[in-house]
Amino acid sequence: MKIQKEKEQPEIPTASMADIAFLLIVFFMLTTVISATKGIEHLLPQQDKSDTQEVQKEESIYIKINADGTYSVDQKEPRSIRDMAFLKDYVYEKVSRNYKKPIIIHVNPEADYEAMVAVLDTLKQVEEQVAKEGRLPADKGLTISIPTSAELEAWGY
Amino acid sequence: MKLRKTKTIEAYIPTASMADIAFLLIVFFMITTVFQVDKTVLTLPASVVRSEVVKGSAFIVVTEDGYIKVSDGKEDTHPIDASDVLSFAVDLMSKDPEQHVVLKADKKVKWHVIDKILEQLEQARVKNLQFLTELKTNNQ
Repeated sequence: MKIQKEKEQPEIPTASMADIAFLLIVFFMLTTVISATKGIEHLLPQQDKSDTQEVQKEESIYIKINADGTYSVDQKEPRSIRDMAFLKDYVYEKVSRNYKKPIIIHVNPEADYEAMVAVLDTLKQVEEQVAKEGRLPADKGLTISIPTSAELEAWGY
Repeated sequence: MKLRKTKTIEAYIPTASMADIAFLLIVFFMITTVFQVDKTVLTLPASVVRSEVVKGSAFIVVTEDGYIKVSDGKEDTHPIDASDVLSFAVDLMSKDPEQHVVLKADKKVKWHVIDKILEQLEQARVKNLQFLTELKTNNQ
């Protein structure tokens, strides 16, 4: 007697696929931080770079940030850190003629970090404006340096 | 004449594409996920010009009282001494000389604290630095 074998079709169960997928979604949703982490970019000086040059204080735009929340540009009278319009105009006027003009930010050790960021932000705004007007070659920026206290000492400021 | 009864169609919601939608969402969240390496709460300085932080950047966190925490971008931040930033940065640069470093400091931190960190980063030949800020609003 021949036994009739019933053939079973092999198959992979896919009913739980959506469940697995939703589980993964929940995991990624919980771990995701869509926080806007943004900041101001700054290139640090490279010590072994050959094109670094000595810059005279007089040739540069020299910004001094004081401990009492004021700043002064090129020996001008100090202004409050909240009043950035003057700095913007002053730097723009100089930089739009010569984008290579070095800008030195001399920060007093007792000044707030906030003050330095405010000045740097203003300079970056000027940079954007100058770039928009086409006065800045592509992939070039303003020459901004924030010397450390050791460097300032070495330069004799 | 007797009209033939209209055939009733069973109402149903198509669920075949459910998995597709789910996977699409998975892909979206996978791409946008950034594992936060630092959860220190501090008041960042504000700025108008801001650019996106590069994924996987190393973090240096400075709290208002001057405590320093670092992360290589993969692990959570851990506290270190102010003078150990150099060895941390040198280690970082030996793995990837182009590594981006993000400085997340409280706006009330005194400059000499930051100055010391910058000096050590320069010594370690860090190239790309970013000062983490929040968006400046008009009343600030």
